[in-house]
Amino acid sequence: MTSAEREAIAKRALAASTADQTEVIVSVSDSALTRFTRGISNQNVAATDRSISVRAIVGGRTGVASTNETSDAAVDAVTARAIALAAFAPADPQQPALPSGGATPTPPGAYVETTAHADPFARAHIADAIVSQAEIAGFWGAGYVATSSSGITIANSAGALASFDGTDAQANVKVIADDSSGFAEHYATDIERIDGHEIGRRAVTKTRDGANPRSVEPGPWTVILEPPAIGELLTYLLSHFSAQSYDEGSSFFSGRLGERFFADGVTIRDDYAHPLAPGMPFDYEAQPKTRPTLVERGAVREIVTDSYYAHKLGRPNTGHALPAPNAWGPQALNVVVDPGSTSADELISQTERGLLISRFWYIRTVDQKRAIVTGMTRDGTFLIDHGRIAGGVRNLRFNQSIVDALAHAVFANDAHRTGGYGYSLVVPTVKIEGFRFTSTTEF
Amino acid sequence: MEFEELADRTLDTAAARGAQYADVRFERVRNERIEVRNGIVSTLSDAASTGYGIRALVDGAWGFAASADLTPTGVDAAAARAVAIARASASIARRPFGAPPERAYTDRFATPVTRDPASVPLGERVALLLEAEKLAHAAPQIAVARAWIDLWLTDKFFFSSIGSKIEQRIRQSGSGLQAMAVGDGDVQTRTFPGDVGLYQSGGWEIVEAARLRENAARIGEEAAALLTAPQCPSGTFDVILGGSQVSLQIHESCGHPAELDRVLGWEANFSGTSFLELDQLDRLEYGSPLVTIVIDNTMPLGMATCGYDDEGTQSGRSDIVRDGVLRGYEMSNDTARSIGRESNACVRAQSWEYVPMIRMCNLSLLPGGTPFEHLFDDVRDGVYMESNRSWSIDDRRLNFQFGCEIGWEIKNGKRGRLLKNPTYAGMTPTFWRSCDAIADELSWFAWGTPNCGKGEPMQTGRTTQAAAPARFRNVQVGVGYGD
Repeated sequence: MTSAEREAIAKRALAASTADQTEVIVSVSDSALTRFTRGISNQNVAATDRSISVRAIVGGRTGVASTNETSDAAVDAVTARAIALAAFAPADPQQPALPSGGATPTPPGAYVETTAHADPFARAHIADAIVSQAEIAGFWGAGYVATSSSGITIANSAGALASFDGTDAQANVKVIADDSSGFAEHYATDIERIDGHEIGRRAVTKTRDGANPRSVEPGPWTVILEPPAIGELLTYLLSHFSAQSYDEGSSFFSGRLGERFFADGVTIRDDYAHPLAPGMPFDYEAQPKTRPTLVERGAVREIVTDSYYAHKLGRPNTGHALPAPNAWGPQALNVVVDPGSTSADELISQTERGLLISRFWYIRTVDQKRAIVTGMTRDGTFLIDHGRIAGGVRNLRFNQSIVDALAHAVFANDAHRTGGYGYSLVVPTVKIEGFRFTSTTEF
Repeated sequence: MEFEELADRTLDTAAARGAQYADVRFERVRNERIEVRNGIVSTLSDAASTGYGIRALVDGAWGFAASADLTPTGVDAAAARAVAIARASASIARRPFGAPPERAYTDRFATPVTRDPASVPLGERVALLLEAEKLAHAAPQIAVARAWIDLWLTDKFFFSSIGSKIEQRIRQSGSGLQAMAVGDGDVQTRTFPGDVGLYQSGGWEIVEAARLRENAARIGEEAAALLTAPQCPSGTFDVILGGSQVSLQIHESCGHPAELDRVLGWEANFSGTSFLELDQLDRLEYGSPLVTIVIDNTMPLGMATCGYDDEGTQSGRSDIVRDGVLRGYEMSNDTARSIGRESNACVRAQSWEYVPMIRMCNLSLLPGGTPFEHLFDDVRDGVYMESNRSWSIDDRRLNFQFGCEIGWEIKNGKRGRLLKNPTYAGMTPTFWRSCDAIADELSWFAWGTPNCGKGEPMQTGRTTQAAAPARFRNVQVGVGYGD
């Protein structure tokens, strides 16, 4: 469905609505994923879908209805349903006017035709290249190659109208040997930038280097976190920058905006237009996204808002609304950490004794206010001894405040895209002192 | 049967394109959600979706394609895409793996419903939540209270090229409430019932059974009291877990590692593998002899209860752990065949646009013989914990650490003062071997999980883990807060 076709549906719903305020989100997606393991493709899938979601606001009362039928009758019916639902909600005195939108130019590189039209054999070709590298080494690999294209149009009764089309291509692999494993990934918008051989080789190297792992004692360690590891850790901190969390008091810095919590070298921004991860230039209310600096040289500078929290807190609307309704409030989803001045290799060579960590697993919040999380290392954990990689170690469990970790963080001068759980992140490798491990596991 | 004409066309197209077997699953899905937050109806939504997913088998390899296009040309295109994807799978396969199911069924199934949610006026539903949420503001420290209702209506129509025609009308309902208290540098949360609310298969009677109004004030008071409660100590203690926490414990430490696709390496890059390897079957002492865990996809109130799974296999009951010994897995047709067994109907897709995959479905730790209050009797120094707050386990499901919302000290057989931030940790088989008492059937309950994540693309599964409170000896407690 083209953006013009999506706009036509949105305009029909707006015309059909008798609500005080109406917002229509029309979205389409075509996603495919080729998953592989142990010499087979265990999940090879594709799905196309569309959605029309109508938010109707009547006298401060809000109802939301959605459908995936696109006929005129279905559009009229879902609009009427949203209005009918609104009648059952008490009026919300904080309900603001919907934003009127603005210019929303798509960042370069967000949509790539080759990715949008990739067929299953293109994905299979990359998967085969990855698997071949593992097989040559005498190992086996499990992973996926995915491509997707999506389009979204948002229009509202205040005059906002914004459309975006984007693509994504991703591949990853876990290469597995008798007593070690290694992980590699690549995120892009262009499938032609994904080199299966290179991804496979990286994972094979980690697997080979991790053979015959030794156990190390838990306790405080100097760690070097590669981008997938620091990226996943950060996703458990980002909700603290939501105006909702800040307002409710559950953010680690509620009431302390402007204070310094982190090391001087820590600067974190939300930037939908980063060249490595170009994304949607407006939020789910059609408000143009700003590119706020959340943390500047260790000090917390901004929280992200949507129209509701901008109105409630008397702050600017930063353009970070999620689709209505949602329980999470506005969120920073396109996060970029500024690189430092030292290379990742130098961070390792300057480490007397530490651990190099490829990836984390199953991170969960233990203590919301202090941002303490627990989780495991996974798929490539190595001992650093006198500045050199000295072999693999068995995996460890950590319990660590992310705030405390970033207070002792030095970022390298590289930049890698990683992601997951709805986030897009561009992050460097990082060195952290005193990272707290509490137990080990058997592998 | 509804969609039969389109299904015939789909299966004919897949066969004409070269599929040796195909099935198609049409679904009409509706989810109504209401959420009240601090006196405001923050969510009042009604989402409807209709579409279909096609599985095609070519040369021992599978392809799957899904679409919402219900026109004849739409199903033709989707069927052709499924076959093309299967051919791509075959092109990189080092060995054939898939095979058609052996049995076909023509049948209907419908979830028993006592009270159709559609008969409950929307205003009544909203009023229930507004009242419960207001009652949860039982102390000035409550910064946020929430209450919610979820209703799912799923109509499935499964057709296969070996002749299956299965219609299922599945109804699932849930509700819950939560209070968050904010103090000086601390946030404490209480949730009811359990840790996500009460989710079961059925109608409005499930929402009524939660008794939100009757428990809201207590939950708010407990959240506020936790702000000033002493910290749970660190060390080795006997632990008694409430029923919903035992439910999560079996979900994470038994349900997931017993998924046979995970054992075979199908989830290796994401959800992980399993310590329940094939050479451990019928040998591994998973837990103490008190521990028997079964899959029962026919049990009343189970979120995964249905007549047939999404491969068209009839639901039944089978052992995972019997008297402490590993006896089986959650299986699909292909994975079961690879170990010389038959599927136990544990295959589900989130909805029509997702490929069916192995899920733990309804997992059940059978009740023991100890009345709940007697679990405490010979605990000299221990902690009783309820309602999960944090859960993490390694990617082979061995090293785990869980935290609960609330705990109580146990001294000399008596439950004592409130403790905040209780956590416990261990290694799965060691932990289950330390289980020396499970409460009786009066405390046994079908706890539903509405949001179990697995697979790539990630799918959300709705599962049940039935369990009663249980006692474990010499457990590491207080991890995460100690040194």
